Amino acid sequence: MSILGLSYSPWSPIFWLLAFVVVMIMAYFFRRRGQKKYKKGTTQTKIFLCGEEVPEAKQRHIRAHNVYWGFFETMKEYYDANIKAHTGIINDYVIWFLVVIAISGIILFIAGVV
Amino acid sequence: MSLNAIKRALWAYHINTGSCNGCDIEILAALTPRYDVERFGIMLVGSPRHADVLLVTGPVARQMAPRLKRVYEQTPDPKVVIVVGSCGSEGGVFYESYNLVGPVDQHIPVDIYVPGCPPRPEAIIEAVAKAWVKLEKAEQEVA
Repeated sequence: MSILGLSYSPWSPIFWLLAFVVVMIMAYFFRRRGQKKYKKGTTQTKIFLCGEEVPEAKQRHIRAHNVYWGFFETMKEYYDANIKAHTGIINDYVIWFLVVIAISGIILFIAGVV
Repeated sequence: MSLNAIKRALWAYHINTGSCNGCDIEILAALTPRYDVERFGIMLVGSPRHADVLLVTGPVARQMAPRLKRVYEQTPDPKVVIVVGSCGSEGGVFYESYNLVGPVDQHIPVDIYVPGCPPRPEAIIEAVAKAWVKLEKAEQEVA
């Protein structure tokens, strides 16, 4: 059966398109009934923060780092050690690569695999 | 007076500018089953952007002055400001206190004063009824 078939299925694109159109019509209907007397370009159209001054958009955003604060705090020792190792310099990464390869080779040699 | 211009119930936003909570409790008392102003559609809303009436309590603490102005500016026109209690009207027991910059009418225009420490719910309800009449006139002037 074609994916565009009209039989009911939650994954049918037609179903989703219809739902989207219905939601958009409802949003337009409610928006039209809204307050029209706001003075544009004044405080009336700004965000209401219980009377507080609205900070810049950048300061309002909660970054992912804030969300994971507890996680990073708990794993602090692990991350401190790892962040030190990640210098961002390609030479350091190559040295790490060579050291790991060398150690792996020695272990495999001792184990008799190679 | 019949109400023709305003064809909806009044919604009020309550802001406390440093009140002792006495007036705030009386405002809430007006919503309790004994008075039940919500049966007329009058209710407290969570944002001044939805409000027709500002209910201001408290003598305006220094920190609250800019916030009071901002809330007033964010309320759509036409609007009515009701000061509930003696503190907001003229300072009350906090008159000339070092950390106050009130009363309310020194910061925003006030339409109705409800004196009392605290005023009874009946007085607050009468003030809201007067606000309704004022808004009706303001709406007619706009139209």
